[in-house]
Amino acid sequence: MRALLRSLATGFANVYTRNLKFRIGFTVFMAILVLGLLSLWAPPGFESWYSYPKDRPPSPQSIDLLLGTTTHGRSVFWMLSRGVLNSLIISFITALVASHVGLFIGMAAGMKGGIVDKALMLITDTFVVIPQLPLLIVLAMLLKGMLTMPLLGLLISITSWPWPARQVRAIVLSLRERDFVTVAQLSGMGTGRIILSEIMPHLLGWHLINATNTVLYAIGSEAGLAVLGLSILDKDTLGTIIYWALSYSAIYRGIWWWIVPPVVILIVLFTSLYLISVGYTEYLNPRLRYQR
Amino acid sequence: MVSRALLMYIASRAATFAATIFLAFTITFLLLRAMPVSAVENIIASMTAQGQVYDPKALIQLRRSLYELFGLTGSPVEQYFRFLYRFLTLDFGPSILAFPTPVRELIMNRLPWTVGLLGFSVVIAWIIGNILGTLAAVFEGTKLSKALQSIALVIYPIPYYIMALVLIYLFAYLIPIFPLTSGAGVLTQGLTPAAIMDLIRRSTLPALSIIIPGMLGWWFLSSRTLTLNVLSEDYTVYAELRGLPRSYILRRYVLRNILLPQTTALGLALGTIFSGALLTEVIFAYPGLGQLMYRAIANGDYSTALGVLSLSIIGVATATFILDIIYPFIDPRVRYR
Repeated sequence: MRALLRSLATGFANVYTRNLKFRIGFTVFMAILVLGLLSLWAPPGFESWYSYPKDRPPSPQSIDLLLGTTTHGRSVFWMLSRGVLNSLIISFITALVASHVGLFIGMAAGMKGGIVDKALMLITDTFVVIPQLPLLIVLAMLLKGMLTMPLLGLLISITSWPWPARQVRAIVLSLRERDFVTVAQLSGMGTGRIILSEIMPHLLGWHLINATNTVLYAIGSEAGLAVLGLSILDKDTLGTIIYWALSYSAIYRGIWWWIVPPVVILIVLFTSLYLISVGYTEYLNPRLRYQR
Repeated sequence: MVSRALLMYIASRAATFAATIFLAFTITFLLLRAMPVSAVENIIASMTAQGQVYDPKALIQLRRSLYELFGLTGSPVEQYFRFLYRFLTLDFGPSILAFPTPVRELIMNRLPWTVGLLGFSVVIAWIIGNILGTLAAVFEGTKLSKALQSIALVIYPIPYYIMALVLIYLFAYLIPIFPLTSGAGVLTQGLTPAAIMDLIRRSTLPALSIIIPGMLGWWFLSSRTLTLNVLSEDYTVYAELRGLPRSYILRRYVLRNILLPQTTALGLALGTIFSGALLTEVIFAYPGLGQLMYRAIANGDYSTALGVLSLSIIGVATATFILDIIYPFIDPRVRYR
């Protein structure tokens, strides 16, 4: 475990110093994370309606009014900050569940081979074929009103584990044929030990990339569901802020400060996560650096 | 010309196709059954609670088809096969939203709109994206190529519905050159030139929201990578050493090699047409399947939502199947296995 952590730390230091894309993505992501964490110190009344004058344009006089207020008389800045935090919590739950389900299934398929591999891959490929958004919509529709943040995270996991599974399987298949694995097998190491000490260290980086991509996907899915009114509407997430702004016709009424900030933060968040994922991929597979 | 090997190949692909669809519907069935709510009674209760008077016979029919859709009638095996049958025949009984119009009729009315918008946008995005990507690879290192690449890195991860919001803000609010919604009810006066112009104007923003992310995102990045790969292959280097003209190399060596995987990807993208831009349609009030799905959600119309879901599953699986079948014909390197 300690060895894994150490390899993680040195890996991070290496990729951070060597890869510009990763560095930009990581820095921007950290800035957004800080914005989200700020909401832990939000003024107590920020969740209730009409604690501020309504439809106020942005003004630099106080942090509450920095991004203006909504038709509900709520501070856009604090909504945005809490929205970032909630969206990240939901997507971290998805990343935790989906990328580990993917890791487990991909590893089982890759290591076992044969019929296990075929069966697992058929199921995985089928999930790839099922259109994700309509499936999520139907499921979220059935659970409407009962959704909580962990549940929403789990729901999005249903459609987001297949890609990590395929990715992990492909890597395990190529690792299995390497000499050092054969050496380990011939020297009498058990399968469990081989997975932990020979396969896992090589897989870890890819696993992190998969988790990053899942976070990206989950944030997008939550926003997509929210546009349809299928997210947790009484909680602030980046998606639900957009939903309420749309349903109060914020754009048409000229209250742009209600809808522009969440959209901009979403775009910046997507880009930063993608840069992290691309940067780390280039670090792990230097050949890609010339191709991309 | 029809050989035994070809027949075997088609048969095996057809089996995979059937297995995928079958599995996909089975998974949908299991997921619906795993839901902790008794959806049907909720639906019927909320319908009658609204105080509207329904024809009792029609209500009984609705309840039966809902029970079958959610797999709740008869023994578990029976439930499952009824469910499969309804999904495969796209027979979802009467819609709740537009009771008692059958769901299938609602879907068929909306289909041309969605297929028109998506078919056009996907193909345009594919063509322009591939041209830009190939050129960016050929002129690798120039300022323009680098700029395009940075733009693609930003645009690729943005979902199309977020792009739709950005476009609305830019072109319907800041610089109001396009209408806010694409609105239903156009073309009611028939296909006059004015009506067609209006239709194009109204469809521009929804189309752009699909074209821009596709064109500058995936198509650009993938065709650029593919071209760079082909350009670094030994046979391309040899062709250059032989002194073949640059345009000839591009046409015969590069284009041929990147068109294959890109055609496959185009086919797959066309397969996702039925679910491809549900949210764009909602945001722009475009009268297609997405808007139908949105209204279905707002009114708790599960049969319609399941109908759209099943159509999109069949669409993707069919596209994969067709590609598998025609692939050996367009790529001589692939043999029927």
